[in-house]
Amino acid sequence: MPAGLATYIIRRLLLLPVILLIVSFATFALGRFAPVDYVEIQAGPRASDETIERIREERGLNDPVPVQYVRYMGNVLTGDLGVSTRYQGFPVADVIFPRMWISLQYNAVVLVLTFAIGLPVGTWAALRRGTWQDPLSIGVFLLFASVPVLISVPLLQWLFAVKLGVLPSGGWSEAEYLGVELGIFSKHAVLPIVALTLPGVAGIARYMRGQVLEVMDQDFVRTANAKGLKAGVVVTRHVARNALLPIVTILGFELAALIGGSIFIETLLGIPGIGLLAFESIGSRDYDTFMAIVLVGSTIFVLTMLLIDIAYGFIDPRIRVEGSIS
Amino acid sequence: MESRRLVLTLTGIAVALIVVLGGLTVILVAGGGGDDGDGDGAGDGDGLGERIEGELRLFGPDPLTLDPACASDAASAEYIVEIFSGLVSFDLDLNVIPDIAEDWEVSDGGTVYTFNLRSNVLFHDNSRPVAADDFKYSLERALNPDTQSTVGEVYLDDIVGALEFADGEAEEVSGIRVINPQTLELTITEPSAVFIEKLTYPTAYVVDEREVGDSTCFESNWTLTPNGTGPFKMEEWSLGRKIVLEANPRFHLEPAPSLERVTYIISGGNSFVMYENDEVDITGIGINNIESVRDPNSDLNADLKEGPTLDVFYIGFNAREAPFDDANLRNALSLAIDREFLAGEFLLDLVQPANGILPPGMDGYNEALAEIPYDPDTARDLLEEAGGPGILDGATILTSGQGATPSDILQAVIAMWEQELSVTVTIEQEDFGLFLRDIDDGNFEMFSLGWIADYPDPQNFLDIKLHSESANNEAGYSNAAVDALLDRADREVDEAARLELYQQAEELIVEDMPWAPLYHGKASYLVKPYVEGFVVPPFVIPNLRYVTINR
Amino acid sequence: MSYDGASPVAIEAAPQQSQRYRVLRRLMRRPVAVVAIMIIVVIYSAGLLAPWVAPHGFNEADFQNRFAEPSLEHPLGTDRLGRDLLSRSIWSAQTTVIVTVAAVLTGGLFLGVTAGLAAGYAGGRTDSIIMRAADTFASVPTILLLLIITATLLPRIQNGARDLEDLTGFDWIVSSGAPSYFLVFGALAIFGWTGIARVVRSQVLALRQEPYVIAARAAGAGTPRILFLHLLPNLTNLLLVSFTLSFGALATAEVGLTFLGIGVQPPHPSFGLMVSDGAILSNVREHTTLILVPAGFIVALVMSFNLLGDQLTDVLSPRRR
Repeated sequence: MPAGLATYIIRRLLLLPVILLIVSFATFALGRFAPVDYVEIQAGPRASDETIERIREERGLNDPVPVQYVRYMGNVLTGDLGVSTRYQGFPVADVIFPRMWISLQYNAVVLVLTFAIGLPVGTWAALRRGTWQDPLSIGVFLLFASVPVLISVPLLQWLFAVKLGVLPSGGWSEAEYLGVELGIFSKHAVLPIVALTLPGVAGIARYMRGQVLEVMDQDFVRTANAKGLKAGVVVTRHVARNALLPIVTILGFELAALIGGSIFIETLLGIPGIGLLAFESIGSRDYDTFMAIVLVGSTIFVLTMLLIDIAYGFIDPRIRVEGSIS
Repeated sequence: MESRRLVLTLTGIAVALIVVLGGLTVILVAGGGGDDGDGDGAGDGDGLGERIEGELRLFGPDPLTLDPACASDAASAEYIVEIFSGLVSFDLDLNVIPDIAEDWEVSDGGTVYTFNLRSNVLFHDNSRPVAADDFKYSLERALNPDTQSTVGEVYLDDIVGALEFADGEAEEVSGIRVINPQTLELTITEPSAVFIEKLTYPTAYVVDEREVGDSTCFESNWTLTPNGTGPFKMEEWSLGRKIVLEANPRFHLEPAPSLERVTYIISGGNSFVMYENDEVDITGIGINNIESVRDPNSDLNADLKEGPTLDVFYIGFNAREAPFDDANLRNALSLAIDREFLAGEFLLDLVQPANGILPPGMDGYNEALAEIPYDPDTARDLLEEAGGPGILDGATILTSGQGATPSDILQAVIAMWEQELSVTVTIEQEDFGLFLRDIDDGNFEMFSLGWIADYPDPQNFLDIKLHSESANNEAGYSNAAVDALLDRADREVDEAARLELYQQAEELIVEDMPWAPLYHGKASYLVKPYVEGFVVPPFVIPNLRYVTINR
Repeated sequence: MSYDGASPVAIEAAPQQSQRYRVLRRLMRRPVAVVAIMIIVVIYSAGLLAPWVAPHGFNEADFQNRFAEPSLEHPLGTDRLGRDLLSRSIWSAQTTVIVTVAAVLTGGLFLGVTAGLAAGYAGGRTDSIIMRAADTFASVPTILLLLIITATLLPRIQNGARDLEDLTGFDWIVSSGAPSYFLVFGALAIFGWTGIARVVRSQVLALRQEPYVIAARAAGAGTPRILFLHLLPNLTNLLLVSFTLSFGALATAEVGLTFLGIGVQPPHPSFGLMVSDGAILSNVREHTTLILVPAGFIVALVMSFNLLGDQLTDVLSPRRR
């Protein structure tokens, strides 16, 4: 590993806790800035103000926000993510990790499928440049990309669950295989996977198409062609280098989009994943759960970005000088 | 063109990926599921579609907590009443019946309750019978400030010494006395007709001290395997996903549960579709599906079961200040509401128009109470007397719920006012917590809210919501004559006379119209024909032990 | 919800005034682009002119005509309250116009371009501070932060607006919905600038080395002059594509946020509210128009922006054909 790259990686790694600190403090402070807290929401109309105030005091909600934040982060560092209030009295870790597992399963499949469909479609479209097949194939997927999940899911739900009756209308399976819960291998997973994959394909396909076109137009390919070399080989090698790497970047953004996408798909389909939990925990002012989701989510995201940068750094040393790309 | 090879390579990779994933799916689904292939979406091989003998599958709300001392919401109570039990409970006709108590006597002018406990009530783990000490522990736990319950005081404050204990000023609750392991004595501060009904609430249920110890409301791990005394015991609780209950074979009341298993699905798809696809046996049904079910040609028509619920939904006026301190204005607005239309044509008879405060089905419901007419002409006259439409310029109705579309019915009411009275009222939506605080502080002009019975007694509506000194009188309504009637009713021991007093109070209240009552709810369910004995619950009562499956 | 203005396709900075008209001409020769522009123009002007073109108010209930079939009076039918779906859509388009334009102006144009120019041109410490800030904003799952911001700030902002009403005597501030609009486009802008900033920065980095920029600097041109006279015009093409694509993404984002209840607050109209009503499965079954009508508008709009962005990329990309 080149020395420059090592320092670059270290610099980025050092930045990670800083980013997490900023993000976590912002989230924490915002949560505490809410005009009402979970005690008041859960107490309902009957509880007396004194009771509410007493519970607040005991739960440390009356302390200054920085004090609460330090206490919270101290606990997090010792592995204690706090206590949920939406699932009142359960450790946050027990609440969020089973949920994350669910979202992770279908999101991973969606990611793989998006690339598995997007890459060949994009390449095919580029090679079909000038024919009707190029705009048609890209256009079809652009159409999919223009239909928000909010609209496609109810329609798919209606088609498959009501009209055809072949898929469940929502929810998530508890099927277990070899002692591991793998709901992904059930009919429940089909709707979310289809609904999330289709809109994602266009981005990858368009990108791939652009890259292939660019490589094909480059002088050396023309030269190679002129020399009678097999263009396929040339294009394949160059496209693989020039196109697949920036696609890693897209992967990062896709990852971020999936977290957002899963909130919608999970609320629509009643999938008990992390998106639905995030949505519900905000509604019930479940600070600790929400904080944990943000922390875990941004850690994963920042680490992915870092990996992408490192991958770039290996391929293209110039980038290290400039700092981050992506 | 030679570069086709690239396409072929990539396509190959894609196909391979898809084949591998798909193949894995097929193998695992087929291998894990057992019989499948009826193709109607029912038996999809992973437990949702299949049914186990003696199992009831239904949709359940996601509970906040299953700790009886801490639960303040109906969603939590729905499970708690099946898993735990207390001294007394409600039967299906809403009578208070002995539960863990075999019987009880009331003495000393109605302030001392002596409960004789059954000797055959065991905790679910069969370790030991329930004794009076367990009740002392459980009640004191609910009141203990360290437990951090928001509702302990609310339901147990009648007991002598409860408030002192809740404030941390006493070592124990002096009004709770263990006479012997089978006898518990509760002393209350003054005679109360509703005290015994308050004891049906989860706050007064018994929990196992060995399991619960000094767990607070924010330490709930024990509720995953709660050692209760109710008709069902917890088999599995998968947070946010499902709750599975199993019958308690040693349950102490008749009938003992006939169902072997109850599976509540907490997160899932559309309940109506799941019912159609045989994934659940019971589902609630709402405005979007009711018409298709009511169609006599529908297969589901025979499955429809409806029953009243003990609640009232209303628009409250801020009677403390102008302009709503004027009964004429309040009556004008109320008379301009076409309740028949709202309940019938608009909400498709899923609710019943309200003529007063008390819902039908509740003791003391006054059938003779005159209907609140839909009378736009009188309404306009009254509005003129009150100062004309101009006094309502910029008036708002406060309602809870951020984001979600404001209730259709509220928009309909506003449209009626605009049409009949030419007044423009806007809806202001607030976050639920903020809404509660604002109406508590009287920080509103009008608000819309529902009130659901804690126990089926007029006191729970009239005294708590409309007595001028009640902390829950958000409308700020104050009428000395009403207060006097309510106070008298509180002390009245003769049941018929007591209800009569409440009816008089209600009549006065309706004349003053501090609320414009809109409607009383109804619960509508679809129940599969093989499910017998399911009674539409008017509010949260333990009703599953009456259910049998017969196919 | 992914909102990122960055176009994935490399676009050469192809400047010159005369060329720009050529670009426009080439674009206008493409039927797809023309249709896309027409759809956008129709929906946006309908939204802008909603008070004049909408046949009914967005909350105008007509109980005699609930769930009405399409007719002359109600060309697209009505909903449960008898509200005209066409009118609600037109008013919702107004919300879309307000939110997307405001978010692009504040987030993309102001924050994004400024930050990108500054980072790329100044370099050094400024660059790394700006890019670290962008990293931080980009590393939070946007929608999570939007959730908590709206849940906690909206009530505060509304209270503030109410105080402002008391102070100034304008009683329309809260009821106009301004606080929630402000919050929606503000939130979208704050999280939407990083993509544009990155693209602009990398282009500036490249352009900085161009002979004419070096020459200008040598001739003593001040920084602002170089930025706005020499660098910015060269970014127009790039920004054009980026903004076209982000308009679509922003429109989708507003619908999504409102659907979750953290966007535009009712009674103000939004496609998000219409969708949240129509997306209930039972409504899809019984009253399909409730979802099809808003869906048609949203998909047409977003699709048009996407296609237009695609066509623009093609036209602007020098190696194309």
